Amino acid sequence: MRRSIFSLIRRLSVDTPSPALKQLPTFVAFAIALLLAVLLPSVVITLPVAVFRGSVIMILATLLSLYFARLRRVTRWSLLVPGFSLLAIALLRNGTGGTTSLFSVLIILPVVWIAAEKGRRWVVVAIIGTSAAIMFPYFANWDLPANAGEWIRGVFTPFVYGVAAAIINELSRQARHQLASIQRLAREREVRLKETLSLAEQLQENQQRLHAADRFTRSVLDAVTEQSVIGTDLRGLIDVWNPGAAMMLGLPASETQGKRHIFEFHSGDELENRSRELNYPPGATVLNPGFSALVESARLGIAEVRDWTYVRSDGSSVSVAVAVTPRVDEEDVTVGYIFVATDVTQALEVARLKDEFVGLISHELRTPLSSILGYLELMRDDNEAPLSEEQLQYLSVAERNAHRLLRLVGDLLFTAQVASGKFPLDISQIALNDVVAGAVESARPAGSAAGVELILYVPEESIAVRGDALRLGQACDNLISNAIKFTPQGGTVTVSLESTDVDAIITVRDTGMGIPESELDQLYARFFRASTATRNAVPGVGLGLTITKAIVIAHGGQLDVESEEGVGTAFSLSLPLPRRP
Amino acid sequence: MVGTVSAGTPRVVIADDDPDIRALISIAVRRAGLELLAEAEDGDRAHIALQEHHPDLAILDVSMPGMTGLELCRLIRADDAFAGMHIVLLSAAVDDQARAAGIEAGADEFFAKPFSPREFGAWLSQLTIRED
Repeated sequence: MRRSIFSLIRRLSVDTPSPALKQLPTFVAFAIALLLAVLLPSVVITLPVAVFRGSVIMILATLLSLYFARLRRVTRWSLLVPGFSLLAIALLRNGTGGTTSLFSVLIILPVVWIAAEKGRRWVVVAIIGTSAAIMFPYFANWDLPANAGEWIRGVFTPFVYGVAAAIINELSRQARHQLASIQRLAREREVRLKETLSLAEQLQENQQRLHAADRFTRSVLDAVTEQSVIGTDLRGLIDVWNPGAAMMLGLPASETQGKRHIFEFHSGDELENRSRELNYPPGATVLNPGFSALVESARLGIAEVRDWTYVRSDGSSVSVAVAVTPRVDEEDVTVGYIFVATDVTQALEVARLKDEFVGLISHELRTPLSSILGYLELMRDDNEAPLSEEQLQYLSVAERNAHRLLRLVGDLLFTAQVASGKFPLDISQIALNDVVAGAVESARPAGSAAGVELILYVPEESIAVRGDALRLGQACDNLISNAIKFTPQGGTVTVSLESTDVDAIITVRDTGMGIPESELDQLYARFFRASTATRNAVPGVGLGLTITKAIVIAHGGQLDVESEEGVGTAFSLSLPLPRRP
Repeated sequence: MVGTVSAGTPRVVIADDDPDIRALISIAVRRAGLELLAEAEDGDRAHIALQEHHPDLAILDVSMPGMTGLELCRLIRADDAFAGMHIVLLSAAVDDQARAAGIEAGADEFFAKPFSPREFGAWLSQLTIRED
């Protein structure tokens, strides 16, 4: 019951903003009252004019309510509708017996409308409206209530209506408030729901992305069959074992993950040696010391690829190059290690074969040369049957060429050593003055034969560096013999030695044919020959500068060249000086 | 006789797989006035010749079929029967590592090929004088 009253009030006053709907009960009640007044003989229409005016005003008020209903926005001006309705009811009452009219009760309907309006002042307006409507018959006759009873009716009735209006106002205020809260909550709930939905969507998206990344990682791991990828925890217990690892070590993932440690697949001797190198005292750590040695570089954050030997379950071994990297969690804390190993058996075999080949070639070429040179010398030294002057001259030609061949073999062997990274240097403290002077002296015969003047500038004080005297001498020899070869008769080759604060610089400058600028950057390539060299038929195979450069680089030095075609070339060989104490 | 240098001419066994080099060495040996006992063309035969003759000096090529000069050199040094024997290694390898490996294996002298017969002979003559 209470609920239905509330809902009615709510429907009429709050929920339904349409003024037309609010006006409907008043209009219907008015119409019924009018019908009763016309049809029932007991109801007497005392003033037909007033009744007519009231009806017209009621129709106008209802039309006005329809107008307001059509407006999109809610306006306070719609309160004109109950106002006019009150006036219409007052006229109806006035026309149907005035103060004695049966239709006073109709007043309640517009009053409810007004009183339900937001704001307490509308309670007052409702009381005044009621009072005005009840007292209307007096006002219409320019009269005042005749007795106290009529006064009371004119004041008390509006007062009661006013109380009712106040209650209605309060109830509708509460209802409005509740509704607003409910609406706010509903809106909030809607917003939350939307947020939740979008979060859920994001989550799903992230999950999908994560799944995709996971699948990608898995397929990459599975696709890598030439390398073994093994993941472990901090103690070396294996938890990742890709097909490459299965292939390389001959065990499926099911037999290693969570069951075996990485160091079980390493050569024990190697791990022990490395542990000793790194000074891991045996038993001093909770970890297997071999494992500590294995992950040393990763633990220190150094990217390192080291050669190890893996031992398969059947006892056979495989040479591998292993890169160890730490695995970190989302807070960047190391939680394990990843070992990526490449089988280098074949690479090692190729390198070994290459070394063997170079050694073999060198041996096979040098052995016949040993015979040639040895027997030529025997002929020269044969005291029993001395050679004629002419024969001796022929002999020196043969000897010179045999020596040339021997040098070439030496150069080839040396370049092969440089290429394979094996470059033996015999380092000691040496005086560059002697090296440079020695190279110039040994080049003098070739210089005078070619008609090229050799000039030497060496400072009086000794310039000492750490290096291989033989190799540096070879570098100087190469530069000087090149300079002589490329300088026409009558030219000069100047060899100088000087020092700066940090470097010793040997310069070999010639007045020769020069090197085209476009060829300068190919100068140190193996077997490269400058176009000026081939054009002028200068002999050589194109190894001298390659070797010279390799020697200089191995000493931590630098080889620079300046050249102008037709003017000359200058090579400068700089070597770092030892730091002064 | 074993392990002692005879008062007379030092006696020599040479081993090299190249017959021309072997001939060159033998000429140098003879010119230096040493006595050539035997020539071998590989490491294993050289070992047999050494066991047979117990020379004062063995001239061995490093690269030989079968046992290499280095292996033979180590074998001699490990065998008391050859105590006091002089060993010269000849090698076509040029770098210092080859020389170091030869000396480490127990050789008294290391000659790189190509060697000058004149210089080699001079060294052999000096040996004769020292042994006398």
